[in-house]
Amino acid sequence: MAVTNEIERAMKPVNVRRRPIPLSLLAWRIVGYAAMIVVVVIIGLPVYWTVMAAFKETREIYSLPVTWWPAKPTLANFPAAWQAAPFGRYYLNSFITTFFGAAAEVILALFSAYALAYLRFPRKDLVFLLLLAALMVPVEITIVPNYLTVARLGWINTYQGIIIPGAAIAYGTFLLRQAFLAVPHEILEAARVDGAGHFRILFSVVAPITQPAIVTMALLSVVSKWNDFLWPLIVTNTTDMRTLPIGVFWLRNSEGFSNWGVVMAGSLFLIVPVLIGFLLAQRAIVEGMTAGAVKG
Amino acid sequence: MATYTPHQERHPNTLRREHREWLLFALFIGPNLLLFSVFTYWPLLYNVYLSMVRWDFLRPTMPFVGLQNYIAAFSDPRFWNIIWQTATFTVWSVGLTLVLGLMLALLLNQPLRYRNTARAVVFAPVVMSGAVVAVVWSYIFDPRYGLIDQLLGFIGFDSPNWLSDPFWAMPAVIIVYVWKNMGYAVVIYLAGLQNIPRELYDAARVDGAGAWERFWNVTLPGLSPVAFFLSVTSILTCFQAFDLIRVLTNGGPADVTTTLVFHLYELGFVSYDAGKAGVVAIVLFLIMLALTIVQIRYIEQRVTYG
Amino acid sequence: MKRTLTRRELLRLMMAGSGAAVLAACGGQGQGGQPAPQATQAPAVVSQPGSKVKITYWGSFSGNLGEAEQAMVKSFNESQNEVEVEYQFQGSYEETAQKFTAALQANTTPDVILLSDVWWFGFYLAGAITALDDLAKQVNLDFNDYEPVLLNEGVRKGVHYWIPFARSTPLFYYNKAIWAEAGLPDRAPETWAEFSEWAPKLVKSDGSRAAFGHPNGASYIAWLFQGVVWQFGGQYSQPDFTMTMTDPNTLRAAQFYQDTVVKHKWAVLNANLNQDFLGGAIASMMASTGALAGIQANATFPVGVGFLPKETNFGCPTGGAGLAIVSRAPAEKQLAAMKYIAFATNTVNAGVWARSTGYMPVRISTKQTPEMVEFFTKNPNFKTAVDQLPKTRAQDAARVFVRNGDQIIGKGLERIIVNGEAPSAVFAAVNEELTQAAKPILEDLKAREG
Repeated sequence: MAVTNEIERAMKPVNVRRRPIPLSLLAWRIVGYAAMIVVVVIIGLPVYWTVMAAFKETREIYSLPVTWWPAKPTLANFPAAWQAAPFGRYYLNSFITTFFGAAAEVILALFSAYALAYLRFPRKDLVFLLLLAALMVPVEITIVPNYLTVARLGWINTYQGIIIPGAAIAYGTFLLRQAFLAVPHEILEAARVDGAGHFRILFSVVAPITQPAIVTMALLSVVSKWNDFLWPLIVTNTTDMRTLPIGVFWLRNSEGFSNWGVVMAGSLFLIVPVLIGFLLAQRAIVEGMTAGAVKG
Repeated sequence: MATYTPHQERHPNTLRREHREWLLFALFIGPNLLLFSVFTYWPLLYNVYLSMVRWDFLRPTMPFVGLQNYIAAFSDPRFWNIIWQTATFTVWSVGLTLVLGLMLALLLNQPLRYRNTARAVVFAPVVMSGAVVAVVWSYIFDPRYGLIDQLLGFIGFDSPNWLSDPFWAMPAVIIVYVWKNMGYAVVIYLAGLQNIPRELYDAARVDGAGAWERFWNVTLPGLSPVAFFLSVTSILTCFQAFDLIRVLTNGGPADVTTTLVFHLYELGFVSYDAGKAGVVAIVLFLIMLALTIVQIRYIEQRVTYG
Repeated sequence: MKRTLTRRELLRLMMAGSGAAVLAACGGQGQGGQPAPQATQAPAVVSQPGSKVKITYWGSFSGNLGEAEQAMVKSFNESQNEVEVEYQFQGSYEETAQKFTAALQANTTPDVILLSDVWWFGFYLAGAITALDDLAKQVNLDFNDYEPVLLNEGVRKGVHYWIPFARSTPLFYYNKAIWAEAGLPDRAPETWAEFSEWAPKLVKSDGSRAAFGHPNGASYIAWLFQGVVWQFGGQYSQPDFTMTMTDPNTLRAAQFYQDTVVKHKWAVLNANLNQDFLGGAIASMMASTGALAGIQANATFPVGVGFLPKETNFGCPTGGAGLAIVSRAPAEKQLAAMKYIAFATNTVNAGVWARSTGYMPVRISTKQTPEMVEFFTKNPNFKTAVDQLPKTRAQDAARVFVRNGDQIIGKGLERIIVNGEAPSAVFAAVNEELTQAAKPILEDLKAREG
C-alpha cells in the first residue's frame, strides 16, 4: 500500500509543481490514483446501487438480472416518498434533536476530556474506566428502564425525552482525551506560565490545536443522533414528534411487499444531509490542520 | 475559576490547590457521569438484579432465584457456541476494520485530487440504514445473479450461497460489517493524522530517514493515541453489533450468526425471559470490561502521548 | 390488481359504503335503528361536541398497509362524532409488543392495539388485554358473521379477546410462463408427489433456476412449514402443549423439506424470495396472501396461484394480526375502542381493507358484497386465496403460544435443510427446547384459566 511521505511530497498541491516530476514519483502518483479508484468502486458500488434504485420503477428493481442504469429513469419515487409521510416535520424534528443532542455531547465531551487529560484527581484511571463502562452496557437492556424513567419525568413524546437520555457521551470523551493527551507538554506549560486559566487553556490553546479531533467527534455525534431509530420510536407516540429514520422505516411495507424505489428515495432524504455535513466537516478538519500547524 | 499558578508554593497551599483541582475535575466530568448514572448505570444495576430473578416483564411477581439463571446459561452448550461465534465475529471485524481503515486513511490523506469525494464515498455506508443495506447486499450475495457471483464467474468459480450457507454466512456478515463501519475508522485515523506535527517528518527527513522508517518512527507513534482509542471502541461496538445481523441473517441460518447481543435480544424481546437476558447482558458486559482493562493495562503503555 | 389504491380513493370507498355499517356498530348507543345516511350530521348521544371520547390506537403497519390503516381510522372519525381515534404507528410487531410491555409498567398504555398471532397470547396471559364479549354486545357486534377459523383463534374459555383484522394465509404461487414452457397444466400441483414429478422439468440445468424456493428467516419458514407438517399428517404440538416434533409424520415432512434441497436439489433456500420469484430464479414458492397484490403488480409474467399442495391431508395455517382492547383503559374508552373495532371489521370495511391490502376479508358476508364480487371477477387469484380460507386452521400452540417457539422450530428446520442434519436428531432437540420453553406458559395458563 502507498503509505509513505515520499508520495505525499510527490503529490503535493498540484499548483506548486513547477519542475518536472521524477518518473518514480509519477509512478507513485499513478499507483495512488489507481488505489483510490479501486477503493471507491468497491466501497461505492452498493452506495451507487442504492442511489440508482431511487430512480427506478419498483418493477425494474425486482427484475433480473440487476440493471446498473435505470432502463426508464423516473423521478416519481421522490414525491411519492415525500408525500407518504410528513417529511417536512420529520426533518424539523431531526434537526432539533440532532442539534441539541450533538451539542450537548460535544460540550460534555470537551469538559470531561479536559478533566481526564489534565486535571488531577485520585484514581483518575478508575473514573476513566467508569466512563468507558457506559460503552459496555448494551442498549437493549437500557430501553425498558429508561422508558420508565422518562415516563416518570413526564417526558414521553417530548424533545427532551428524545434528547436527554442520550446526551451523556463516553465515546467522544475518550476520543478527545486521546487528542488532548497528544498535545505537546511544552505548549500547555507555556500557557500556564502565561497565567492562563483552565477555561482559557481549553478554548484558546487545546481546542484549536485539536480541532480535527473535535470536528470529527462532532461529526460522528451528529451522525449517531441523526440515524438513531429505536429510542425515538419508543419514546414518541405521535407523528408530529417522529424523526426522519422512523419516516424512512414507515415507507417500507411491514409485511409482504415493499415499494423499494420509494424506500430508496426516502433513504436518500436521510443520507444526503449527512454527506453534505461530512464534506463541510472535512474542510474544517483541513483548516484545523493548518491552524494547528501554525500554533504548534 | 481555578487558575493554575506555577510551582514553588508551600505544602498546605499545594494541597489546597490540589483539592480545588479535584473539585474542578468533579465539576467538569460530573454532568456527564450524572446523566450516565440515571440512564446507563442504573439500568445496568437493575439488570444485575433481573439476572437473579425469574420474570417475563409482565407478571406481577418476580421470584428471586439466585444464580440459577447463570447456571442454566453456563451449562447450555449453545451459549458457549454463541460466545465462540461472537469472538470470531469480533476478531475478524475489528481486525479488518482497523487494518484496512488505516491503509485507506493513509491513502486518502495523500494530496490526491477528488480525495474528499473519495472520503465521502468511504463514509457513506456509515449513514445508510440497515434495511437498505440488507436489500442491496442480498443482491450482491445472491448465488445466481449476484455481483460476487459474476465476479467469481470471470475466474471460473461458483459463488457460495452466502447468506443461506452455514459456512459462508458469518464471513458475509463480517464483510458487510467491515464495509459499513470502516468509514468510522478512516475518519478517526484521518483526524489523528492531522494531529501529527509536520516538523516531526521534516526532522526525520533531515536525519536521513527513509519513507518506511518515517512511517514506523513518526506516523505510527503519532497515530498511537487514536489507534488505541479505535482498538478499544471498535471492540466494544463490534461486540454489540445488532442491527446488521438482524437485517442480514437474523442470527441464522441454523444459528451460525447469532452473537451474544443477538442472543440477548432473542431472550429479552422475543422470549420475554428477563432473567436469562439479564445473564447474557452481564456476561457481555464483563467480557468487554475485562478486554478493556487488559488494553488499558498493556496496550496503553505503548501509546505515545504529547 | 393493476395498482394499489390511493388513500383518497380508499377513503371515498369507505365513506360510500359505511353508512349502514356505522349504524350497526353504534346501534347500541340509543338512536334506535333510525337510518342516518350522513352519519356526520346525525346528532349522537353525546350532547356537546367537545365531549368526544378520544382513544389511542397502536398499530404496526407501514408502507401502503399503514396508509390503508390510517385511512380506516380517518373514515371512522368522519363517520360519527362520539369517538375520535388517534392512530399511532409503533414500528414492527416486535417493537409494538416491546413498547406495550414497557407502557404496561409505566402506565402509558393505549386503548386499542394491533397484535400479531405470536404476540397476543402473552398479553392475554398477563391479563393485559380485556374480554370483549360484553363490549361487543353493547355495540351489537355479530360474532357469527366472522370467519370462524379466524375468530376462534382469539377465543379462550369461550371468551373473545382478539378480533381478526389483518389476517393472511400461505398460498402457492407459480410462474405461468415457466409452467407453459415446461408443458405443465396451468394450475398449482394437487399434491407434493405431483409437484415432485413436475419439479425436474422446471429446473434449469445451469443452476440459474430452481423449481421452488424456501425462505430463510426462521420465523417465516416455521409458519410455511406448519401447513406442510399438517399435510403430512403431523403437527408441532397438541393443544395441551404436548410437543409432537418427533411424531413420525412431522419427521416425514421435515425429511421431505430436506430432500427438496439436499437430495433432489430442485428447491433452494434464499433470503429474498419475492425477488427470486419475480426475477424468474424460482418457478414457484409458498408465500403469504399479503404479497399477492405486490407480486402481481410487479411481475413481467402471468402469476398463477393455488391452494397449498396436499400430501395425506390438506393443511394451511392462518397468520397475521388482530385487534385487542387494553384491560387498563377506562370503561368509556373500552366501549369507544369496541366501536372502532366493529367499524374496521364490518361487512363493508372488511372488504375495503381486504381489497386495498390483500389481507383476507374477516367477515363472511363481505364475500357477497357487490364490490367484492366484482373484485373477485377481476382478480381470480385473490378469489383463490379467499376460497382457501375456510379450509385453513389456527397454528399449533408450539409456534404461536410458546414464546420464541417460531424461532426454535425455524432454526431447527434450517439445520435440517441447510446443514443436512438428520430430522430425527434435530427435532428431538427442538422438542426438548419447546417443552422447556412451554413450562412457564403452562404455569401462567393454569393461573389464568385454572
